Amino acid sequence: MFKQTTAVTLLNLRSIPQRWGMSLATVLSIALVVGVLLGFMAMASGFRATVDGAGSDDVAIMLRGGAMAEMNSNVSRDEVRLLEAAPGIAAGAQGDPLISSELYVVADALRRTTGTRSNLALRGLGLHGPELRPQFSLVEGRMFEPGAAELVVGASVQREFEGFSLGETVRLGPNEWTVVGIFSTGGSVFDSEIWTDLGVVQNLYQRGSGVQTVRARLTSPDDIEVLREHVGNEPRLNLEVLTERDYFARSAGGTVTLIEWAGWPLAILMAIGALAGAWNAMYASVDARTRELATLRAIGFGGFPAFIAAMVEAIVLAFLGGLVGAGATWLLFDGVSASTLGSGFTQIVFAFAVTPGAAVQGVILAVIVGVLGGFVPAIRAARIPLLAVHAD
Amino acid sequence: MNDATLVRKNLFRKRLRAILLTVSILIAFLIYGMLGAMQNAFSMGMEGAAQDRLVTVNRINFTVALPYAYRERIQQVEGVRTVAPASWFGGYFQEPQNMVQSFAVDPASYLEAYPELVFQPDEQAAFIEGRTCAAIGRALVTQFGWSVGDRIPLMSNIWQQQDGSQAWDLDICAIFDDADGTYPTNYLMLHYEYFNESLAFGRDSFHWIAIVTDDPGQNDRISQDIDALFANSPAETSTTTEAAFNEAFMEQFGNIGLILTWVIGAAFATILMIVGTTMVMAVNERTREIAVLKTLGFTAPRIFRMVLWEALLLSFIGGLIGLGLAALAAQGASAAMSGFLPPFGLSLANTLTAIGFMVALGLITGLLPAWNAMRVRISEALGKI
Repeated sequence: MFKQTTAVTLLNLRSIPQRWGMSLATVLSIALVVGVLLGFMAMASGFRATVDGAGSDDVAIMLRGGAMAEMNSNVSRDEVRLLEAAPGIAAGAQGDPLISSELYVVADALRRTTGTRSNLALRGLGLHGPELRPQFSLVEGRMFEPGAAELVVGASVQREFEGFSLGETVRLGPNEWTVVGIFSTGGSVFDSEIWTDLGVVQNLYQRGSGVQTVRARLTSPDDIEVLREHVGNEPRLNLEVLTERDYFARSAGGTVTLIEWAGWPLAILMAIGALAGAWNAMYASVDARTRELATLRAIGFGGFPAFIAAMVEAIVLAFLGGLVGAGATWLLFDGVSASTLGSGFTQIVFAFAVTPGAAVQGVILAVIVGVLGGFVPAIRAARIPLLAVHAD
Repeated sequence: MNDATLVRKNLFRKRLRAILLTVSILIAFLIYGMLGAMQNAFSMGMEGAAQDRLVTVNRINFTVALPYAYRERIQQVEGVRTVAPASWFGGYFQEPQNMVQSFAVDPASYLEAYPELVFQPDEQAAFIEGRTCAAIGRALVTQFGWSVGDRIPLMSNIWQQQDGSQAWDLDICAIFDDADGTYPTNYLMLHYEYFNESLAFGRDSFHWIAIVTDDPGQNDRISQDIDALFANSPAETSTTTEAAFNEAFMEQFGNIGLILTWVIGAAFATILMIVGTTMVMAVNERTREIAVLKTLGFTAPRIFRMVLWEALLLSFIGGLIGLGLAALAAQGASAAMSGFLPPFGLSLANTLTAIGFMVALGLITGLLPAWNAMRVRISEALGKI
């Protein structure tokens, strides 16, 4: 039985080139299905990686209760003072708490590729701000001077938007700024931002002494509870305390779900279309070998080997399609830079990421198409009557 | 038996094969139709009145406020008829997840600027008169089940009152529809004055102003005049048509059009290959029959036409069913997403393009097999054993 099956299967696979037209169409149509699925998943996981990469467990972010997003939050100067003395916050080199009061406003910039205006985040941060971003490093130039209209610009901003080269003068609204440095936080969401001194933003945008958020380095990730309890018990503080990771996970969730919810149904619909194609191709394959299969029956082969052989053919074609689709998506899309509007109403630049996990899911979908598409034709192959030897 | 019958019989001689091909064509057109309808949803509000209405925002960005006093100064510009200021409210109901798109407006001027919003006359009067009144769009009625007479506390995730509260108590006084089903009704409007008087911060400012002019032909000049008024002030302005503003905003989400083109392209490439190869094979199987037809006196062009018609027929059966399903699906999706997107459906342009695609698909997949069929040689085909 086993020998028979192997023999028929090999015979079958070797004859694929005789039906190369249909076989190629099957492979390519399945490749396209996988390509569409992986394209969407690469978008979702690239976006997730950018946003998740920004949040660390040992940085706490404090917003006004109910504000949900930085943009809507406001924290008064008095509240910031109270927080400076709160427990659970690590101390810097000079013994002062590692805390950064931040305020961001939205500014317009021209996108290089399309020449259209897009929102960018202009963030004013405190002295310790950069220290609270674990992978922060200056790529070019120097940091801004406190009190000066100077900017340091994220690497993604410089790549995607016009007019942010080192030394250039940038006009944002009525004010002129000088770009004095380019920074990177390892591809995280902060690379899509422009940074300057907190006091300058408060001043130029008439925000008084208020800020939007306070970030603080925790003595250890577990101390978020200590800080949260302290803030909860202090009636003068109406703040929500989150780790930065939780904050970003919450704000990225919607976009990621939206992309995945668009990708899967489309891929499944297309898979049904490709399934019809594979089914058809397998029927053609079985039809073409009617005499051959009947001859095998006549010389004593069972129906089961014919069934297995047809199934293997379908699965091999589908698997090839899956590989081609995954490979092509990886070559075409992996690392492609894109940007979209994030929860803070500002652009988040991210790179498409074709992950191994997604590629495996794509190939699995391809094999499912092969199994379903091959099943009925394979049964037909197993039930070809002996008399079909005389078929023309 | 005429040619049409022969074409039909040929197409369905292997019924399962015809059905499978129909399914794969159907799916490509279903995807095309649904994505086309979605794209319409994103480009809503870029036609009609939006082309003529101007909108003024802060030049830094539309999320940055402008002083309320600008309203009077813009009203003075020659050719400006109506000036309707509005502010983001950032509303949510009970839980922060239940977002309610909401604006604080000056009702009288806003309704004058947006004549496409349709009210019951008595409700409209009540909304304009009542200080704590809110008007809600039909889509919100569906989403939250509110009705006229309800009193709701609407929370703001942006603003705070002087007493620290973030909730404004609103009476729902009116429900509005849009005149022709093409504008979104998924938002709530409340009185600017009621909103402004209790604000803890950011009082006497607004986020955008909608402007109706006497003559849309003057819009370029008027935009420049308005922006010139505030040049070199701490809050400079940027004035464009509402359509251009909406389009710029949608573009910020990314190149949705390009993504849709890729997906639709992939779907059509799939069926082109599947249908194309199958048609070639189907005609090859019939080589002997075609030779018999030729022997019976069928001319080569006639056979060419018959095979081409067969491909076209297949393409239209699958395409029309797919398009019909897409229209139904778009209707369902539009109802399900009325809270986020304006009403959408297949446009006439979508339908015509789809029909163009059906013709193209039929021709492309039919030409090669038709050519093959035409060139069948009787002696060779019938000579085969």
